[in-house]
Amino acid sequence: MVRPDPMKWRVLLPAFAVTSCSGAQTPLDPVGDQASQLFSLLTLMLWVCGIAYALVLAFLGWTLWRARHVLERDPPEVAPEDRRLNHGLRIWAGLVAVGLIILAGGSYVVDWALSRAEREAALEVRVTGHQWWWRIEYRDPATHQWIETANELHLPQGRTALVLLGSADVIHSFWVPNVAGKMDMVPGRINQVALTPRRLGWFRGQCAEFCGSQHAHMAFDVYVDSPAQFAAWLTAQRQPATAATDPVLARGAQVVTQGPCAACHRLRGTPATGRAGPDITHLASRHALAAGTLPLTRGAIQGWIAQPKALKPGTMMPAIPLSAADADAVSRYLVTLK
Amino acid sequence: MRGGRAASLVLLLLLAACSKEKRVLDADQPVTDPVGAQDPRTRQFQDNAYQVAQGGRYFAWYGCSNCHGNGAQEPLDLGDGRWRHGSTPDRVYAAIAGHGALGARILPEQRWQLAAYVEQLPTLDTAYRRRQDTDQVGEAQAGNWSGPIR
Amino acid sequence: MTNEQKAELTRTWADPPGLWGFLTTVDHKRIAARYICSTIALLFLAGMLALDMRLQLSQPGMQRMDPQEYNEAFSLHGSTMLFLVSVPVMEAMALWLVPLMLGQRNVAFPRLSAFSYWLYLGGVLMLWVPHALNITPDLGWFEYPPLSGPAYSPGHRADIWAQMITFTEVAALAASVNIVATILKMRPPGMTLARMPLFLWAMLIASLMTILALPSVMLVTSMLISDRLVATHFFAPAGGGDVLLFQHLFWFFGHPEVYIIFVPAIGFVSAIVEVFARRPMFGYRAMVLSMVAIGVLAFGLWVHHMFAVGLPRIGNAFYTAASMAIAFPAGIQIFCWIATLWSGRPRFDTPLLWIVAFLVTFVVGGLSGVMAAAAPLDLQLTDTYFIVAHFHYVLVGGAMFPLFGAFCFWYPKATGRLMSEAWGKLAFWLIAGGFNLGFFPMHLLGLMGMPRRVYTYPAELGWGTLNLVATIGSAIAVLGGVVFVVNALVSLRRGKPAGPDPWGGATLEWAAPSPPPQHNFDWMPVETSLAPMWDAKDGLAVMEGLATGSREVLVTSLVEAEPEYRQHSVGPSIWPLVSGLAVSALFVGSIFTPWALVWGALPVGAALTLWFWPTRPRATAGPFARRSG
Repeated sequence: MVRPDPMKWRVLLPAFAVTSCSGAQTPLDPVGDQASQLFSLLTLMLWVCGIAYALVLAFLGWTLWRARHVLERDPPEVAPEDRRLNHGLRIWAGLVAVGLIILAGGSYVVDWALSRAEREAALEVRVTGHQWWWRIEYRDPATHQWIETANELHLPQGRTALVLLGSADVIHSFWVPNVAGKMDMVPGRINQVALTPRRLGWFRGQCAEFCGSQHAHMAFDVYVDSPAQFAAWLTAQRQPATAATDPVLARGAQVVTQGPCAACHRLRGTPATGRAGPDITHLASRHALAAGTLPLTRGAIQGWIAQPKALKPGTMMPAIPLSAADADAVSRYLVTLK
Repeated sequence: MRGGRAASLVLLLLLAACSKEKRVLDADQPVTDPVGAQDPRTRQFQDNAYQVAQGGRYFAWYGCSNCHGNGAQEPLDLGDGRWRHGSTPDRVYAAIAGHGALGARILPEQRWQLAAYVEQLPTLDTAYRRRQDTDQVGEAQAGNWSGPIR
Repeated sequence: MTNEQKAELTRTWADPPGLWGFLTTVDHKRIAARYICSTIALLFLAGMLALDMRLQLSQPGMQRMDPQEYNEAFSLHGSTMLFLVSVPVMEAMALWLVPLMLGQRNVAFPRLSAFSYWLYLGGVLMLWVPHALNITPDLGWFEYPPLSGPAYSPGHRADIWAQMITFTEVAALAASVNIVATILKMRPPGMTLARMPLFLWAMLIASLMTILALPSVMLVTSMLISDRLVATHFFAPAGGGDVLLFQHLFWFFGHPEVYIIFVPAIGFVSAIVEVFARRPMFGYRAMVLSMVAIGVLAFGLWVHHMFAVGLPRIGNAFYTAASMAIAFPAGIQIFCWIATLWSGRPRFDTPLLWIVAFLVTFVVGGLSGVMAAAAPLDLQLTDTYFIVAHFHYVLVGGAMFPLFGAFCFWYPKATGRLMSEAWGKLAFWLIAGGFNLGFFPMHLLGLMGMPRRVYTYPAELGWGTLNLVATIGSAIAVLGGVVFVVNALVSLRRGKPAGPDPWGGATLEWAAPSPPPQHNFDWMPVETSLAPMWDAKDGLAVMEGLATGSREVLVTSLVEAEPEYRQHSVGPSIWPLVSGLAVSALFVGSIFTPWALVWGALPVGAALTLWFWPTRPRATAGPFARRSG
């Protein structure tokens, strides 16, 4: 099967002096098959549109240059002879039509290629958009159970993941620009998008449909692992929460699994079974907190628990007043949940 | 003179309307229980559409709607206007806080919001309550989540 | 005409003095002037909101605005610019120009134009008074449910937005019906459809589009209010409704809306190019057919706003084809304009500078639109700053620049004075340069992954520099706007006096004095060609026969503009204002209770009855005479 090679097309792309063509959240650095197809289409567009614009500017420039010898008081020309211009109009109309047909054709070719990729899915992932976080479930190839995590997407390199998109409340949009185009998460529908990443590394996705006050802080990390790494990661995610190994950690575990946290969060293998908030069974295996808002460190966790609305105004996470000792124990416990 | 009084009345009404519409997104929330039935903080919850709506969401999140949802029969029906534990705001708050193990997990800020929501339930008609529930069918209810809205 | 007849004509068409005259006038020029002043004021207010947002985004992680303030800012900015500035200002320019360009004394339905303004003002107050009271709608300029539904948007903010739409759409419908009727039935004798100036073609097409498109948005916003107020399930998926229904109905209006804004600008550009190139437009027939094609095609594109919602690929492909197809007539028009300038003798006064800026800027917007028209590529571009750049380029470059040019062009006709060329050129360079500096980087930001409607962004993504450049450019453009308005105000007193025809115009409005008297023309001009003012070297042919003792206008036939009959034109009336107040009460009340529709209908019915109460007996002669027996 022919895989599109983005490097080949990049040679033709006029350099963008001030942009960074590389980045963790940009369609200009295609990592996935889908994004590569779209990058090729973008390149075609830039060439055709660039030529069209250049022609318009050239005609306008010629006009301005010709006008430099115009006399102020010339009377208007009432019945001009326009044969040359009529000819020019026909040529221009033909060029525009041809240009648009090329672009539409390019669009159809890419659309067809993208639709083929969706039929070869090796992994099924279900992502549900909530205000303002992502519930991510992987279908375990062995047991066909759904393994739930949140806010961080892992993908195996070279395989196609079919992501099924739903929403629990309002319209969101799932977008990992380096890998594929966006797809909205519309209440009442299950949409899907195929992701076929070819390069290892970290990328970033962000919600791309206004969904309320913290739309700006609804991002997710995307890690492309080798197939072996991915399998190992999924196995680890399948396990229940790490048990506490010392009294401080046990105190932390007790506060988390039997206190207010348990009303909304789930830690598999403990009495905490809340589903309203993200699953935190393997919280510390992730790299960010609160859907990409904060780094995952003990300090950030403590700050988030104590005053979430100070960090993400409007979040549904309540402020949990804990004693200093309890707060310390809880954050120590949570960072052991790898 | 009459024009001035009318104008200030209108202004007062409008200002009252504004506080109803304020969205309270930031961190300055009460963390203590109400002090008696006349606690001034009650106004800022009961009269604020955002706080009442938040109460409605937490009503699902904390699992209240499992027993007290739309269509609950007596004595679980919170919309019938019969306040068995007292109808003043602090009594409603206390009823929520004293709800056994479930109540113990609810934090003060959410208790205020839930109390505000519960207090206005008798004023909503069934169709309106059902309409809100329809939109919130994708929200979790304590330990149950039935998947995204299909 | 004797001096006595002239004096009588002036008296007949005069407004009552003072405040009563202000409230009851049906003079299309006065109504248009207040419309234009209102839109300019709102343009500034919305521009201040934009500057606020740009300041917030100029650096990563800025905390000047909290998310609630930012969401209110972009919602108010978008809603104001699209519903309260762009469409109304085009209608206002039409309201002012159309009778003048037709050699007529007023529009077909004078009281309807007054009613249109009062409802528009109601829409302005509906949105901005709540803003003053801090209850601004905060869900964008198109509030998608379920975010705008009863569960996720408590209170009345969403209803305020929805009802503002109702106000402005009734106002737009009123204005459009008026313009269509005037253009079709009140042309001067000899102005067949084939000899109609391009501006009038543009306004005819834009007004017909308005009449067909606006009912859709009135319907969908009413359905939203209904969902929120009386618990219907139109947009509730779990109740049998469909969230996408809102999007389809909204964008069925929303796409033609942007062409309703652009097509009048086509008219402005054509008028200015003709006069400043000093030759009739090249490709008149191509221009008219292109405008008609744009008007028709615009109704078949709306799904391109929904490429990411998961509709079937083949459906999306159809809309890709249609969205690309509309670039074809636009491309033809660009050629015709440049060709006219190329083969003419251009004079680069300020109005023509604006046209050059339009050509350079609008084409960028059109091409970014062609890029976004490809459904798969749109999945990377939509909902990012690329699209923000695209629509600002087409709206500002494609509509605002021609509008500024038109303003400079017709200012001498309206006021009798010329705007300062020097300050006009300064304003031009600041606005055109500032705009491009401010918005071109947004294409790049979108391609670097920055989504729309975010109140802040992290530093690690490298978006800070371009955002700062965008802020600086926007600030320069706003400064240019200030210079432009100050120039307009100062020139009112200190501008060089302009005669009736300072630019050497081609169309009939340049035959009227500057500023025109309330009755516009002493005699009705007769048109013999597409450029009557140029052909009429020894004076314009006119006809007489309209009464001077009562208000009369001439009604002519649809295609050939043969005179048909003299129509009595209504004089000043308080009923448009009273009806406007009654309708406003109904609209505002219906946010709070459905009973407002019932009780509110009574004063509306009463006001309309009084408005239409016959003031004259039936005609006894002529084609509409009452037959006895």
